[in-house]
Amino acid sequence: MPDDSILKLLVPATLAAARDATERVMVLGRRFGEEDRALYETAVMEWLVNIVKHSYVPADGGSIRVVAEAGPQEMHLVIEDRGRGLSAAHFAAAPSQIEFDPEALAELPESGMGLAILKSVMDSVLYEQHQGINRLIAVKRWRS
Amino acid sequence: MVLEDQVEGDYLVVGLRDKRLDAVIAVSFREAMAERIDQGQKKIVLDLSNVGFLDSSGLGALVGVLKHLGPQGCLYLCGITPAVMAVLRLTRMDRVFKTFPTRADALAA
Repeated sequence: MPDDSILKLLVPATLAAARDATERVMVLGRRFGEEDRALYETAVMEWLVNIVKHSYVPADGGSIRVVAEAGPQEMHLVIEDRGRGLSAAHFAAAPSQIEFDPEALAELPESGMGLAILKSVMDSVLYEQHQGINRLIAVKRWRS
Repeated sequence: MVLEDQVEGDYLVVGLRDKRLDAVIAVSFREAMAERIDQGQKKIVLDLSNVGFLDSSGLGALVGVLKHLGPQGCLYLCGITPAVMAVLRLTRMDRVFKTFPTRADALAA
């Protein structure tokens, strides 16, 4: 009998595949409340898109491995790629909140918000690079 | 990506038919909106009532539209779903965009 609390995917590093993988991960996210569900889905997409846009050189045929597990207390997510990856220092230094003046139209951010979303949505997030693999481990607890 | 245009007085009401405003369509969405602005539309109501997912690429495209309009332009968002509002609040972009429950509310503002 298949275990419907675990999802394992190996998808090509494309935007369309990132969208599809995100939607498939969210099938396991039934226990999230409405707001947590929306934010979690965005956070997952952010990291996958980050890999597609920045880890792999376009059209180099990379792939992304996704393992999601709906546990009793939390959603556990591991995402791996073999691209050049974000440096661990860059990841650590990225803020979890986007700072800007809402009145300064020309200065409003149009990019660079993905890591802040990821960090602020997840309860814990770990990023490591080991033997050519870039691995994100993210946990978010269920909340009613 | 599908946009539906409707002229209402001085306003162009644009409805995004897609369910997701994300990295997949962000570039084409922004280009399509820029084309409308370049044709002279400076007051736009964007109806997002079909959109149940927003990521930072989609959000960046919205910001890009706002910048393309410039300080003399006007961009109202309406039909914001709870999922989209959650992202606007998280990123604090809810302080940037003027939002309304419906097209009628936006047009009456």
